[in-house]
Amino acid sequence: MAFEVPKTAYSGQIKEIKLGQGDKAVTVGGESSYPFYLFEGEMPHLPRIAMEVYDCPPEEWPEAALEPFAGVTDDPVAWAKKCLSDYGAEMICLQLLSTDPNGLDRGADEAAEVVKKVADAIDVPLIVWGTANHDKDTEVLRKVAELCQDKSLILGPVEEADHKKIGAAAIGYQHTVVASTPIDINLAKQLTILLGNLGVPDELIVMDPTVSGIGYGIEYCYSVMERMRMAALTQQDDKLQFPIICNIAKETWKTKEAKISEAEDPRMGDVKKRGILLEAMSAMAMLLAGGDVLIMRHPEAIKLVREMIAELTKA
Amino acid sequence: MTKAAPKKKVKVHFNPDNVDIAVAPGENLLQAAIAAGVHIYASCGGAGTCGTCKVLIEKGQVETTRTEKLSEEEFQQGLRQACQSRVLTDLTVYVPVESRLEKAVLSREQKRVSEVLAAGWRFKPPLSKFFVELPSPTPEDNTSDLSRLLRGLRQRFNLSNLSVDFEAVKKLAKALRDGNWKVTVTTLVTAAKPRAGDRRRPRVINIEPGDTREKHYSLAFDIGTTTVCGQLLELNRGKVIAEGIAYNGQISYGEDVITRINHCQKPGGLKKLQQAVVTTINGVIKELLARGRVSPDHIGHVMVAGNTTMTQILLGLDPKYLRLTPYTPVANFFPPVEAASLGIKVGEQASLFTFPAVASYVGGDIVSGIVGSGVHQRKTLTFFMDIGTNGEIVIGNSDWMVTASCSAGPAFEGGGIKHGIVATEGAIEEFDIDRSNLEPKVSTIGDAKPKGICGSGLINIVAGLLEAGVIGQNGKFNRDLPTKRIRRGRDGYEYVLSRAPETQIGQDIVITEVDIDNLMRAKAAMYAGCQTLSKSVGIGCADFEQVIIAGAFGNNINIEKSITIGLLPDLPPDKFIFIGNGSLLGARLTSFSTDLLDDARRVAQMMTNFELSENVDFMNNYMAALFLPHTEASAFPTVSKKLARLTRNNPRQRIVI
Repeated sequence: MAFEVPKTAYSGQIKEIKLGQGDKAVTVGGESSYPFYLFEGEMPHLPRIAMEVYDCPPEEWPEAALEPFAGVTDDPVAWAKKCLSDYGAEMICLQLLSTDPNGLDRGADEAAEVVKKVADAIDVPLIVWGTANHDKDTEVLRKVAELCQDKSLILGPVEEADHKKIGAAAIGYQHTVVASTPIDINLAKQLTILLGNLGVPDELIVMDPTVSGIGYGIEYCYSVMERMRMAALTQQDDKLQFPIICNIAKETWKTKEAKISEAEDPRMGDVKKRGILLEAMSAMAMLLAGGDVLIMRHPEAIKLVREMIAELTKA
Repeated sequence: MTKAAPKKKVKVHFNPDNVDIAVAPGENLLQAAIAAGVHIYASCGGAGTCGTCKVLIEKGQVETTRTEKLSEEEFQQGLRQACQSRVLTDLTVYVPVESRLEKAVLSREQKRVSEVLAAGWRFKPPLSKFFVELPSPTPEDNTSDLSRLLRGLRQRFNLSNLSVDFEAVKKLAKALRDGNWKVTVTTLVTAAKPRAGDRRRPRVINIEPGDTREKHYSLAFDIGTTTVCGQLLELNRGKVIAEGIAYNGQISYGEDVITRINHCQKPGGLKKLQQAVVTTINGVIKELLARGRVSPDHIGHVMVAGNTTMTQILLGLDPKYLRLTPYTPVANFFPPVEAASLGIKVGEQASLFTFPAVASYVGGDIVSGIVGSGVHQRKTLTFFMDIGTNGEIVIGNSDWMVTASCSAGPAFEGGGIKHGIVATEGAIEEFDIDRSNLEPKVSTIGDAKPKGICGSGLINIVAGLLEAGVIGQNGKFNRDLPTKRIRRGRDGYEYVLSRAPETQIGQDIVITEVDIDNLMRAKAAMYAGCQTLSKSVGIGCADFEQVIIAGAFGNNINIEKSITIGLLPDLPPDKFIFIGNGSLLGARLTSFSTDLLDDARRVAQMMTNFELSENVDFMNNYMAALFLPHTEASAFPTVSKKLARLTRNNPRQRIVI
């Protein structure tokens, strides 16, 4: 008798969630196997990459990350358009850095106006990401939800402390929420239960388990995501059967290893190449753990990850 | 102040205790109170972080470090944290009811919630009294007093192989002559070694002139971290004469065992803690003896069940190594000691027995509970849980037993709960909520005006709030509900259970989000312990044939509500039995039966302890259990169904924007 590769028996499936609207809407999720285990099940929708746009000029980015966006970093609309036209972005993630109460502390109305302009200027799905300050995010994201009520945005992070107010706005205006929890399978599950109790329909939920870059505890994030997928796919845990979104660019580019110059530490090698590889490798690790949407920054890193996805899913 | 004037002592007067103490100026007020024998609740052990030791300065001056635990309003009223205050002048201090540790309170009748479960034991107390008439000595028979006595006992009762305490020998000559050669001899046996054929050797511990057989008593105690419960027992008929409970005086040095163990490391610390608990015990004994009209000289022995830390401190043994890995107790079996030598106010003939312990965090109280409930006598697969400050669990039957300690914390005894109190008169125990207007209906133990919330009340309140949608499954208040009962208080959001005029304490009694959080942690630790321990032996919660619940947190525990919050596994209600204070139950029964005394020793040896603090699974299960009832909804099918139904019928849960 010929040898047969043992196969995992899957009893669950990740929910298919449609993000955005119109021709450029994307659908994520739907997996019936572990990531890229195409010999065991299906991955009907490939992972998607959202390119980052900031609503104010980023001050702490290393040169390598700024270079591809020279000239547009002070204009989120132009920046978003450049991502689409020059780098073929299939989604945009607008980071509302300017609303940080410990930074520029820009008001909700003003921030929402910017979101509206960006949303109007692009046709791909738009993720809007706050600052994880519960009071401020509640204020800002509710305003955004209202002002962009026909845009089918993806609003995050929605955490336990602010899930009611933002969740209610999302139900009211039909936006998707990113249920964000601090690296724990139980907390992740609890938040989707709470959102369900609130009345947020399943098709408006994606999960953010909190991620980090290489060298900063990525193993831990990996194993939490892996366990979430195991529970979803093999233990029919329907409260974990949501697509996973990974806000990974921020985490890799803020590290010392992505910033320190070659002159300062020659052993580290070329700083540009290093930053790109750190982002690409961190992103790839997240995909292997079960990520469905990656929020990324550098076009070169994105290119590398796209190639890897193509390679892994080649017939 | 430049001159170093000789410091004159100042006088501090404490009300309502009406006691004085002279202290040096600058003395800490909490220390002064302890020295004066005034027990003030100080759950943080005097670090200033808990805010439970508030007292009212009626006259005189103190110097206070003000912390955030004292509001502006309270400060203006003259309230101060005792632990943060230093005495400057003569003082009159009032200790408000909520800061007071009540002494030998609770004369309430214990509702009998379950019959004694242990079966098949003989009523044969380890303590026996024998009345014997001896021939007076003659020139022909001038053998010694002791030989005469032993000969008499052998002839009359076939008693041989006796050992005689020297203290008894000292009384012998006088007793024989005072009683005109009629004396009553008290003998005591200790637990036999589990080996068969081991011959028991009764000890003569007391000799009294005349016939005192009717005066035959003992004491049973449960020494808990939070409360001390005692019973006065009559040994001829096996009756409970009186029962008493008091807060363990050690609470003034900290709420949990770890703080206490740490305190023991300070110079004189161990002695202070030992004296604190002895004072509490003596208070309870005084009350018990007064109510039973019994003299301390007629107490034959004191049977004590306590956790390992409480036992060691009571015996004056440094508990230091209990908290250091790998967590070793001084001994699992302690021989009986003379109770009076520990400062316990009973006659010097009385020995104090402690229950054998299993490990550092599974103590004699659990062994006592198991013996008292007869788990070791049956094949029935039993899940035993003792819901106390530590929360210990046992799984097993007559063949095997495993056990673990869950570090649940003191929430079930009212600790760490803003208005938490022990199950005493005025404690809110029953709770219901009118779903139409969200108004509460509360009832208290003894139907007194509300004074606080006891453990069983806390469970009922949280379950009620959850079912009414006032709190979510995460234990957080639904802030948009149309009721003034939910409001923002000093510790975050809270729900008002009783308004000030309806209470004994003159302020609103509330349950806060922090309280709910503390209860959730406590119940999560218990449930996670149950899951982890049962998985360790390859069974699931559904395999339990019976669940025995012990705990001193109320008259009763509402099984359904306890399942609703996820404290107990979702099993049919008829599998649950509540035995009240299991530790005290075991201590009582072993006073009545030598067989059970032997069993205690055997049970302690057959239990295998699992250390949960080092178990990865436990932490995982704990996180999953920090939800109402549980993150894993499928483990609580009846609750999930009930909540889903309530949510459907209660659209108020949904927020409209």
